[in-house]
Amino acid sequence: MLCERCKIREANIQYTEVVGGVKTEHHFCAQCAKELDFGPYSAIFDTDFPLGKLLSGLLGVMGSDEQEEQETPQIICPTCKTSYEEFIKDSRFGCPDCYGVFDLLITENIKQLQGSDTHKGKRPHGLQKIKPVPVVVSAQGGENPSGTDADQIQSFERRLKEALRLEDYETAAHCRDEIRRLREGSASE
Amino acid sequence: MKWYEYADSDRPGVISSRVRLVRNLDHCVFPAKLSAKENEEMIRRLEYGLQDIGSVDGRNYQFSMLQDMSDLERKSLRERHVFNSTIASRKTPVGLILSDTEDCGIILGGTDHIRIQLLSSGLCLEKLWADCDKMDDYIGERFPYAFDEKYGYLTSFPTNVGTGLRASVTIHLPNLSKGKKFSGLTAEMGRFGAKVRGIYGEGNENYGSLYEVSNQKTLGLTEKEILDLVNRLALQLLSQENQVRKLALEKHRLECEDEAYKSYGVLKYARRLSSRDAMVFLSQLMQGIHDNILVMEEPCPVYRLMLGIQPANLQKDSSRPLSKEELDVERAAYIRAALPDLKQ
Repeated sequence: MLCERCKIREANIQYTEVVGGVKTEHHFCAQCAKELDFGPYSAIFDTDFPLGKLLSGLLGVMGSDEQEEQETPQIICPTCKTSYEEFIKDSRFGCPDCYGVFDLLITENIKQLQGSDTHKGKRPHGLQKIKPVPVVVSAQGGENPSGTDADQIQSFERRLKEALRLEDYETAAHCRDEIRRLREGSASE
Repeated sequence: MKWYEYADSDRPGVISSRVRLVRNLDHCVFPAKLSAKENEEMIRRLEYGLQDIGSVDGRNYQFSMLQDMSDLERKSLRERHVFNSTIASRKTPVGLILSDTEDCGIILGGTDHIRIQLLSSGLCLEKLWADCDKMDDYIGERFPYAFDEKYGYLTSFPTNVGTGLRASVTIHLPNLSKGKKFSGLTAEMGRFGAKVRGIYGEGNENYGSLYEVSNQKTLGLTEKEILDLVNRLALQLLSQENQVRKLALEKHRLECEDEAYKSYGVLKYARRLSSRDAMVFLSQLMQGIHDNILVMEEPCPVYRLMLGIQPANLQKDSSRPLSKEELDVERAAYIRAALPDLKQ
């Protein structure tokens, strides 16, 4: 996909904006992203992609001293407390949630490393390919789907949390699948 | 019998095939971020849930913890490729579920929560993947995996993300690897998304001419595409190897025969053999058998000897610790005893 701003370079940054419950997605190239104002996240692009250093050993590219001296943004995974810096140093994630937390920063490098950033292979048994679910706004007057489906989703979500707390993964998987099924059902309606 | 005791007589240049799959549990921090106690709890939970794993393929499985084993036992398992050195040297608890034939091994709490590996002699990636896939489904039904719509199966290292699959084939390339163009050829493999590495040896030296071809990328390809790629490239290298060998046999038959018989003679009668020398002669013996120059009274699985002469495997059959010199004596004796006579 081409960058929506310059329409010349390949877009490698996906920027999701949620304003008043409305989600809009933008696709920019690294250069345009640097020139744009992303508020507190602009720092990410100031360092000429600190990702140059990321997986440097694997990619055989060494970051210059100048780059190293510059400040890198302090992004920390809330689940396992792995910082982005730590991730760069060890080239390893701390938990599955790191992928979501560092997504914006790593997608380009994963693409370089793997030649792709999209999985094409096997999926967990019973997990159907899901279409993106429209944003559900729970505020009053929002698009919250009413009726039994929504109630059921809520009930399954509660059961899922409880099952995870008890480490009963079989029940948790069942609840997760049910939630997906219900959401897919309401999405296609 | 262990898997490495069989030799593929249809395609003698292929030593073994391997598939390795890594998976992680959903909602669980990766092993490196867990304390020793948490790791142990996670392993116990997995072991408990996988007690009947033998029902998947009818194999007999043994459960063990790496830290309960002696250093020697761990090293000898690493030499037999049950796990790699990173796992062998882990300080935190690591669980092992291993079939009695050593062809199917599941590591719990290594660099990822679950690492499934299947090994076999000969070229059979598809068959190994079919078994591995079943095993993966079985575990996945009991323990939901960390999976992402975009990145696929989530792993500790970004080099494994996506399919989590590494497929590899070990091949014997004694002639091709002697050529000047070999390093260029292996570098070229990178362009196709595969890697070629020597199995034994230090630095640029290679003892035994065994090379492993494996996929570099795990994301953006289907499992079948990965298997096909590795299969195709391994066969490509083998066909080039065979061409070079054919030429050598046509032009230098006497030298080829001389090398094969000399290797047999040394291996059959030597009283001391260093690891390096033994590997070089065993590689030449393998070639001699492959070319039908050496015909033995009984089948001779040379690869089994190559695994058997590694230090920890030699040491484990001895009642006392052996010095380097004593190991060399032991190595020569081991080969002498295992080598069948030549047919007259």
